[in-house]
Amino acid sequence: MRRPLLALAAAAALTVSAAACGESATTSKNGVTSIDVGVIPISDVAPIYLGQKKGFFDEQKLKLNLKPAQGGAAIVPGVVSGDLEFGFSNVVSLLLAQSKGLPVKVVTNGISSSGEEEKDFASVIVKDDSKIQKPKDLAGKKVAINTLNNAGDTQVRASVRKDGGDAKSIKFVEMPFPDMSAALDKGDIDAVWIVEPFQSQLLADGNRIVATPAVDTAEKLTHAVYFTTTKTAQTDQDLVKRFQAAMNKSLEYADSHPDEARAILATYTKIKGDQAKDMVLPKWPVEINRESVQAQADLAVSDGLIKGDKKPDVNALLP
Amino acid sequence: MTDILRRTGLALGLPLVLFVVWWVTSAGSENFFLPPLADILAAFTATWTADRFAADVLPSLVRLAAGYAIAAVLGIALGVLVGSLPRVRAAFEPVLEFLRAIPPPVLVPILMLIAGIGDGMKVAVIVSGCVWPILLNTVEGVRAVDPVLADTCRSYGIGGAARLRHLVLRSASPQMVAGLRQALSLGIILMVISEMFAASTGLGFTIIQFQRSFAIPEMWSGIILLGLTGFALSLIFKFFEARVLAWYHGLRRAERGRS
Repeated sequence: MRRPLLALAAAAALTVSAAACGESATTSKNGVTSIDVGVIPISDVAPIYLGQKKGFFDEQKLKLNLKPAQGGAAIVPGVVSGDLEFGFSNVVSLLLAQSKGLPVKVVTNGISSSGEEEKDFASVIVKDDSKIQKPKDLAGKKVAINTLNNAGDTQVRASVRKDGGDAKSIKFVEMPFPDMSAALDKGDIDAVWIVEPFQSQLLADGNRIVATPAVDTAEKLTHAVYFTTTKTAQTDQDLVKRFQAAMNKSLEYADSHPDEARAILATYTKIKGDQAKDMVLPKWPVEINRESVQAQADLAVSDGLIKGDKKPDVNALLP
Repeated sequence: MTDILRRTGLALGLPLVLFVVWWVTSAGSENFFLPPLADILAAFTATWTADRFAADVLPSLVRLAAGYAIAAVLGIALGVLVGSLPRVRAAFEPVLEFLRAIPPPVLVPILMLIAGIGDGMKVAVIVSGCVWPILLNTVEGVRAVDPVLADTCRSYGIGGAARLRHLVLRSASPQMVAGLRQALSLGIILMVISEMFAASTGLGFTIIQFQRSFAIPEMWSGIILLGLTGFALSLIFKFFEARVLAWYHGLRRAERGRS
């Protein structure tokens, strides 16, 4: 406010740069297309790193530029603006984006729940001496979550509801995963919804799992996917097909070669050695579990994440 | 009368021009992240209802007020102490310069360990940033007390509380107020930052929630509200400054008139 001219110049610059970044994928003379893919540098995206190393993308004449982002919230705008050709995001974020009119379209699966109690990509963990014994005991308690009004709390609520507890009374507190361990230790929070590698770390420290929310939400739930814009999906079907083919091969390979998947983690995360060996890997099936996406869409509406009359359209979102 | 009109015209002119420019250029915007101003204003009235004010804006302002007040008391008290004792100042100055250079956002995880995740942590974040301009300006102000006045006090036997109140605080007050003014805008920034961690209410928290759920017009409306809050607070501060420093501004005017 104090420097309106500066603000005006900044606004103008923003508009110009927003207009300039609408470029689409560039294909060189030898038919190799260079694509930018937004990923979150966590274990979930190991297949795409592994596939890049194995040359599955080269086979499809794709030159992959992986762009690590802080979180899914940064990837969706990147893909929609055309900065990134494809992106990795959890299903709930995409449902929210779609309900607000953002033109997003799923290309292929990202990660799925293992479907096994206490052996999944994420769980709710309490201190060993906590009075919380079952998911329904979480009612009225403080649960740490990395992002409010998103996949984590939706799944935790589903878990508590399934166990007959009052899901509405859970008090979710947002904090980054790395900070959760200390907050749980201090007693600032009663439980944490946490993913790998923090999950195995907390368990090694003597804490215990009280719920496996993804398992309770839907059978073999599809948690995250790779997506693009509806425009790219329509106008550049060839590119989408090639990405899909390379990605699916990568998913299959990573799922059947867990040791190689664990080894690749050290190249783009801080997960090293023993940690990578002990942690629970997610499942990387090629198929998207449509019912589980519908279940999450229904929960997003009934939990109030999606308000208004624009209901999520799962069929339009999925390929 | 015409003078007042001209001044309000000048003050309102540019904001009005900017508003119109924003309105016109954004009118047909197809960009999802830069929606038309008309949409933003519609979202503004729909979003910032009395309920939400009580639930989100008020807690933010209360935390800001608490953090700012603590920073002011702490900064002025320590500043007077450090400023009036040369030895203490020599010992403290490097440490203070070191501490002030640490950006408060990086302290948040540490403050979370000490102060937990409640309002205490958020107030502590605000204090940790606001206290420095107040403290350092007070030190400078106290150090620069007119030696003639100090000698006069001494020869009249004015000491203790009376000396502090009438000489030290009074003559340092222009610089203290300058520090307080800097701290106010810092405080608003830190209020938002503190709500990015482990919050469940607040203006900053709400804006981030809107951004994450792709409620972009609502997000912009929150940013506008934040700007308006800052503007309102600076108006209140101006009023406060005009009262507290009336003698100083009068003195300056008189000096200018004389020379």
